[in-house]
Amino acid sequence: MANNYVMLNNVEHQNVKVITDRSAQYGDDVESALTFPLEFRNIQSCYPIFFRKDATTGQFSPVALFGFQPRENLYLTDDGWDAHYIPLMIRRHPFLIGFQQVQDQGDTRQAVVSIDMNSPRVNETEGEALFLEHGGISDYLSAMTEMLETIRLANEMNAGFVDALLKLDLIEAVTMQVELKDRSKNELLGYYTINEDKLQQLDSESLGELHSQHYLESIFMILASMSCFRTLVEKKNDQLDDV
Amino acid sequence: MTMSDPVNTVVIVGGGTAGWLTAGLLAAEHRCGQESGLKVVLIESPDVSPIGVGEGTWPTMRTSLQTMGVSETDFVRHCDASFKQGTRFIGWLHGQDESYYHPFYLPPRFHEIDLARHWQPLREQVSYADAVTPQSQACDRDLAPKQITTPEFASALNYGYHLDAGKFSKFLEGHCVEKLGVSHILDNVVAVNAADNGDIQSLSLNSGETVHGDLFVDCTGFAALLLGKHYDIPYCSKRDYLFNDRALAIQVPRGSPDEAIASTTLSTAQRAGWIWDIALPKRRGVGYVYSSAYTSDEEAEADLRHYISETADKDFGETCSPRQIKFSPGHREKLWHRNCVAIGLSGGFVEPLEASALVMVELSAKMLSEQLPANRSIMDIVARRFNEKFLYDWHRIIEFLKLHYVLSKRDDSDYWRDNRDPRTIPPDLKESLELWRYQSPRYQDLFHADELFPAASYRYVLYGMDFETEGPNEQRRSDVASRTEAESLFGDNIKRTKQVLKALPTNRELISKIHEFGFQKI
Repeated sequence: MANNYVMLNNVEHQNVKVITDRSAQYGDDVESALTFPLEFRNIQSCYPIFFRKDATTGQFSPVALFGFQPRENLYLTDDGWDAHYIPLMIRRHPFLIGFQQVQDQGDTRQAVVSIDMNSPRVNETEGEALFLEHGGISDYLSAMTEMLETIRLANEMNAGFVDALLKLDLIEAVTMQVELKDRSKNELLGYYTINEDKLQQLDSESLGELHSQHYLESIFMILASMSCFRTLVEKKNDQLDDV
Repeated sequence: MTMSDPVNTVVIVGGGTAGWLTAGLLAAEHRCGQESGLKVVLIESPDVSPIGVGEGTWPTMRTSLQTMGVSETDFVRHCDASFKQGTRFIGWLHGQDESYYHPFYLPPRFHEIDLARHWQPLREQVSYADAVTPQSQACDRDLAPKQITTPEFASALNYGYHLDAGKFSKFLEGHCVEKLGVSHILDNVVAVNAADNGDIQSLSLNSGETVHGDLFVDCTGFAALLLGKHYDIPYCSKRDYLFNDRALAIQVPRGSPDEAIASTTLSTAQRAGWIWDIALPKRRGVGYVYSSAYTSDEEAEADLRHYISETADKDFGETCSPRQIKFSPGHREKLWHRNCVAIGLSGGFVEPLEASALVMVELSAKMLSEQLPANRSIMDIVARRFNEKFLYDWHRIIEFLKLHYVLSKRDDSDYWRDNRDPRTIPPDLKESLELWRYQSPRYQDLFHADELFPAASYRYVLYGMDFETEGPNEQRRSDVASRTEAESLFGDNIKRTKQVLKALPTNRELISKIHEFGFQKI
């Protein structure tokens, strides 16, 4: 069903509840999710980090990878999401941060929280309530609002990070070829990674600049995250055993 | 005379597209602006405005831009450029609204399987282009040749550009001067000074300055200041083959900012010539190229106005004032003489039916750059080879353009009837047409490995114009052997066409995205 984001308010959405379980039926069957340097430390311990181009803008963003094919999430099990950290962009559902035009004062944009009323998570009987009985905000909603604000800031920083990498030619296309236990060959196309040769050849001035903006740390987090690619392959092989 | 006269300085005269393309390609390869690099000087007259009608390119332009280190995003943004995937010829066969495409796409396994031969039995069901490429159908829908996620200069379907020639030469000027170290002098050349051996030694400018050089490039357009005026190299007229000698050109504003942008140059046949229609994001470039022997300037103007009124604002069609350009179809007897080489209109010009003007500039500049003689003593050898190659190319362009006319069945004017008169057809073309009744044009019956127009182009035109070649038969081993493969390639093309039509944005959509986001380099 197509998304139907509406601005959240405590009158219309007084009785709305959100299911927070992790499952394909709630839309968690995705093969990747946008991520941010801000959460790289947690991400790299569970998922490989690549870059992908946004289909509508062509701009690069870092993503955490969960599977090899569209809608394949190898971390999803019958008992939920099998990893100790779940990316912000997964946890944010069914909310989104948007902007509202505000005419008065100098600031013309104000962040507002929207909710996808078509999300299978949204109902009135099960899950976390958004508003308290007498109109106040629930702890759950308050935590979600905080998370959305974090995402907004993190997203703005992503552009600077990607630009810095592109300027130094540090992003390169990568084709990952995976041979599984059943001898089947899988190819991962359309992903990009850090060009390690170029990274080795950077002069100290460029390195210093990357470091001063905390980008150097993020670069090494991405390189470290590659060890999780093996985890992904193992999960896929385990799945073959189950069949 | 051995290494005593090194070529250290190249002087280009003329600041149009030809001049700046030559400057850029030379400067990028020969480390212009570096201490040990070549010195490239471009002299531009402040009083002469470029003719600026070369607004369609071939896919070669992508390589030229890359060689110069230009970003495709910048180029599209600054030159009001859009994507060209070929030419659509309208009314060439019967003078009605029938049309066919000459797309840039090379059919799959072109050199292995003669798909044209296997297409013959299907000719009533599907056009040749639609059978062998997804590009014609993409062009029917004004689709772009790529997506915003496709890297700069890469393609889903092969493409060149439509561009604003005035903006393009300004853009190249900026790049050449700021990034590539080309010296730019704005002044008029008042005298060409000869050395004792007959070479050009220097040019005197209006300011009193004298500019010395080792090699001089004549990019002065029809004026041909160096090769024509100074050296008096004769001009070979090709009017016997190609009748068109005049053009009326006009820029047509867009009715609305979101009007569709066509993916091909439209070429619509008229009583005594044809009208080009080049789609840029902000305007169209339209012009009637005709033969003064078959129509009057007044009649031609009326025909052009009629076309504009039909395809754009009626008031504009009635009130606009097109600019006239007179030319003599043909080229110089040679293009490189002593230490002077002509690139662009100074070397020759024929009607822009297959957008051959800019590609000839690119190829000439490329060969000049690759073969740039290290010193004067070997220059004559390079010159002789340069002349041989480009005179051959001129010969082939003229034949290929003529092919478009000889296949017409139009009978509504002497112009079309005379174009089919055997006396106006080049002898080589006459022979080829005999051959092609029994075999499709292929690699082997063209003469050079680097033909300007590949066999694929001949096929698009021949079969677009209803030419009949004998179909496959049981006598030929290759026909029998390749039948199933050909069928599967036709099937693949149907699948690929579906994918392409689903995945590609329109030209208009992609160009808006380039302005907003830009392409990635990778």
